[in-house]
Amino acid sequence: MLFFLLLALFGPALAPYTENNQSSPPREAPSTAYPFGTDYLGRDVFSRVILGARSIFLTAGVGTLIAVVIGTFVGLFIGYQGGLLDEVVGRFIDAFLALPALLVALVILGIIKNVDFAPGSWQAAVADQSVLIVIALVYVPIVARVVRSSTLDIKTREFVQAAQIRGEARLYIIFREIFPSVVPALVVEASLRFSYAIFLVASLGFLGVGASPPTPDWGLMVSENRGGLYQLAPWALNFPALAIAVLVIGVNLMSDGVKRVFQKSG
Amino acid sequence: MSETPGTVLHVANLGISYRVGKQWIRAVREFQIEVKAGQIYGVVGESGSGKSTAATGIMRYLAANGRTEPGSVIELLGQDLAARSARAMQDVWGRCMNMVPQDPAAALNPSIRVGEQVAEIVRRHEKVDRDTARARVVAMLRRVRLADPETIFDRFPHQLSGGMQQRVVIAMALITSPQLLILDEPTTALDVTTEAVILDLVRDLIAAEGAGAVYVTHNLGVVAQLCERVVVMYAGEIMEDAAAADLFARPLHPYTVGLLKSVPRLGQTKREMALQTIPGRPPSLTELPEGCVYAPRCPLAIEICQTKPPLETPAAGRLVRCHRWQEIAAGAVEVAYEDGGGAIASAGLEARSPLLHAAEMTKHFAVSRSLIEVLQGVTPTPVRAVDDVSLHIQKGRTYGLVGESGSGKTTLARMIIGLENPTDGSIDLLGVDLAPTVRTRGREMLAKLQMVFQNPQNSLNPYLTVGQAIRRPLMTLRGMARAEADHEVERLLTAVNLRPEYAARYPGELSGGEKQRVAIARAFASDPALIICDEPVSALDVSVQAAVLNLLARLQEEHDTAYLFIAHDLAVVGYLADYIAVMYLGEIFEVGYGSDLFAPPYHPYTEALVSAIPVADPTHQSERIRLSEDVPSPRNLPTGCRFHTRCPRKIGAICEDEAPPWRDDGDGHYIRCHIPLPELTALQKSLLPDHERDA
Repeated sequence: MLFFLLLALFGPALAPYTENNQSSPPREAPSTAYPFGTDYLGRDVFSRVILGARSIFLTAGVGTLIAVVIGTFVGLFIGYQGGLLDEVVGRFIDAFLALPALLVALVILGIIKNVDFAPGSWQAAVADQSVLIVIALVYVPIVARVVRSSTLDIKTREFVQAAQIRGEARLYIIFREIFPSVVPALVVEASLRFSYAIFLVASLGFLGVGASPPTPDWGLMVSENRGGLYQLAPWALNFPALAIAVLVIGVNLMSDGVKRVFQKSG
Repeated sequence: MSETPGTVLHVANLGISYRVGKQWIRAVREFQIEVKAGQIYGVVGESGSGKSTAATGIMRYLAANGRTEPGSVIELLGQDLAARSARAMQDVWGRCMNMVPQDPAAALNPSIRVGEQVAEIVRRHEKVDRDTARARVVAMLRRVRLADPETIFDRFPHQLSGGMQQRVVIAMALITSPQLLILDEPTTALDVTTEAVILDLVRDLIAAEGAGAVYVTHNLGVVAQLCERVVVMYAGEIMEDAAAADLFARPLHPYTVGLLKSVPRLGQTKREMALQTIPGRPPSLTELPEGCVYAPRCPLAIEICQTKPPLETPAAGRLVRCHRWQEIAAGAVEVAYEDGGGAIASAGLEARSPLLHAAEMTKHFAVSRSLIEVLQGVTPTPVRAVDDVSLHIQKGRTYGLVGESGSGKTTLARMIIGLENPTDGSIDLLGVDLAPTVRTRGREMLAKLQMVFQNPQNSLNPYLTVGQAIRRPLMTLRGMARAEADHEVERLLTAVNLRPEYAARYPGELSGGEKQRVAIARAFASDPALIICDEPVSALDVSVQAAVLNLLARLQEEHDTAYLFIAHDLAVVGYLADYIAVMYLGEIFEVGYGSDLFAPPYHPYTEALVSAIPVADPTHQSERIRLSEDVPSPRNLPTGCRFHTRCPRKIGAICEDEAPPWRDDGDGHYIRCHIPLPELTALQKSLLPDHERDA
């Protein structure tokens, strides 16, 4: 996990070739010059895997972060406020959760990709980050629901009532009294969401609605090298696939660890 | 059953350890007990004393990380259990020994009919067919005095009240006629009137069955009323073991003396004497003191107490673990604990100026409608939690509010503090009409009313330090600057007997009693005129409870703050309160000064409450007045007098048809009953123990 994070940070310095350097012979087997071999266009798979780490971390990480921030706000407010607001927003969230994340992401991306924006306009800039935004959007309701249920539990505690009888403002109670107790559940949820987000980014790349070629996206790399010529250069597919698997497992193990730490202290 | 009382259970040198991390923590050390047939043996101690661990250890039913140490002897009717495997124990459990746990709701499977659950045990151990098993169960349910056992058989646990569930669990434990019954705080979660009924039941059944029983409890009153012999535990060791009569009359261990003196007796008040308190707190099991485990808190500790005292036998059938028991027995030394500053002599009974007047307070909770009800346009009857209750609180005085769970006392308090919006009623504080909820009340009014909550675990935010918790009301409600507030925090902490360093600690580092002191300091921070105390000591151990009660009494005297003190424990309310109201099903039935309330005439409900209290004196046998457990639903209240369905002194149709009138007994003592007061007085006996009556 840490290893991948370092890769993402220092990737450009480590990679022996640039991501789209096609100067090498195509479909070269792994060797000392090309540790993971080269793909059908003669690009170095090793460099592309390293460079791909950054985009997947950025997209999944920032996407999750946005989802966590918005989800926390929504969850805290509807949880504390209760009543009609909770009913309406809560049901909306429930309805949203019934849809599979990947399907929702595909639909939204499909729409965005089919609209042409003027290059350089802000719409185009947003469309460029569409995967990131979709990740955020898909996970907001999930995070909100987790935060809401912990808020519901904590708001009945007596220290919250003690704050109410001091006449504290709603915002103070939500952020100063309730929020700290939500944090453990939130951190566990965030790390879990992150691992799902990585997988989702890779899946979207694979399905061709994520990053566009020639970006060194792991999912896209798997998809590009999957064609009939797979037998000729299995390494071009196997290494990015392995990278995805290792990262997802790594993040999952980390979130398990986080959970255990918080359960112990909580 | 055999006629000669033989030994049922023989336990010696029992040691129990728990593995926590890499360490083995020795929770129980050198425990011993000898239970005879037909005998109820009490095991008392505060939380963490190892009493429940010892009980589960005898059952060989420890958690996965627990073990019985080698050398332990557990013999049931001469059979050695200590060496048995868990598998071999299965034949013993259920057939020879059974356990009644504290929480009956957790012991019953919510999705199986209660009769089936009991029948299952009969079938498992006696291999009888369904019809025979059913007949046996119905007979057993009748023996635990469940009315209409045939119907109860087919009920699910959630359809029964807590008291009825506990009876089913007792039936379950006794149906196989075991030789040994272990009861682990079986009445702690129940109301005092229900507790009294269950205790009677246990006493009668054990006598009839001739089984031995081990009764684990923290309540000395229960022990005095129920048990033949008692063992007192502290920090995993036996402190004292004696026949109940001897233990209460002549305790030999300083800890036993402390426990006995720290519990307020019914009728005892803060004006007469402060409660004695045991200083400090029980040691952590990971860092036990070198010598006597009790030495750090013992007023008699001397140099020799740095070495471990042996368990000695001062007389036949008595054990004590103290170096100085001979001196205590001879009366050469007196076990004197701190008494928290002496009695509150200045607290008189004369009337003070009025502070708060709550008039005709009413709270009805709407019941959410089902879809069918919405379609039919039916509005379900609301839950009438509090109905038309008025109360006057005077400056600097304590207004006590007692009643069983569901009486509406907490709802009433929440309406006064402004956490619950009243359906009807008005509150007048120092001549100003109070807005209904905290949101709509001004800062000045908020500062005048504060609250201390029941559960110290939840009343402090775990992520804020003690200093932050107390500083906040100082800054928001009294407008203090940071530096000034910090200074005031120190003063407040000192006032509640905590060192100023506590300001930097988090609640997780504090014991229950310390947390409750912090909560009290926080309530006093805004210099309120009235503090609502909702069961502030019911979650605390007795030795800690006494210190908190003393503290509340002293702070009241110093600050001239009034309390609305809510508790289910009549003795605790009686100790602290000047004026007491008794609530039942959302209405007040009797009000009066404490001293009047505990002598006839009583309201029949108060009379039942008083008689249900287990008195910590085995020689005292109160006249038993027992109420049925069928508390009417607050959605469907009885007509006329709300108490008539359970009233042992019901006089006739008038109780069912007409609301009873308030009758004046003079001196502010009012009773709401159809029976005229002189008749009530003639019917009732004083229920206080003799020596209390003379005082």
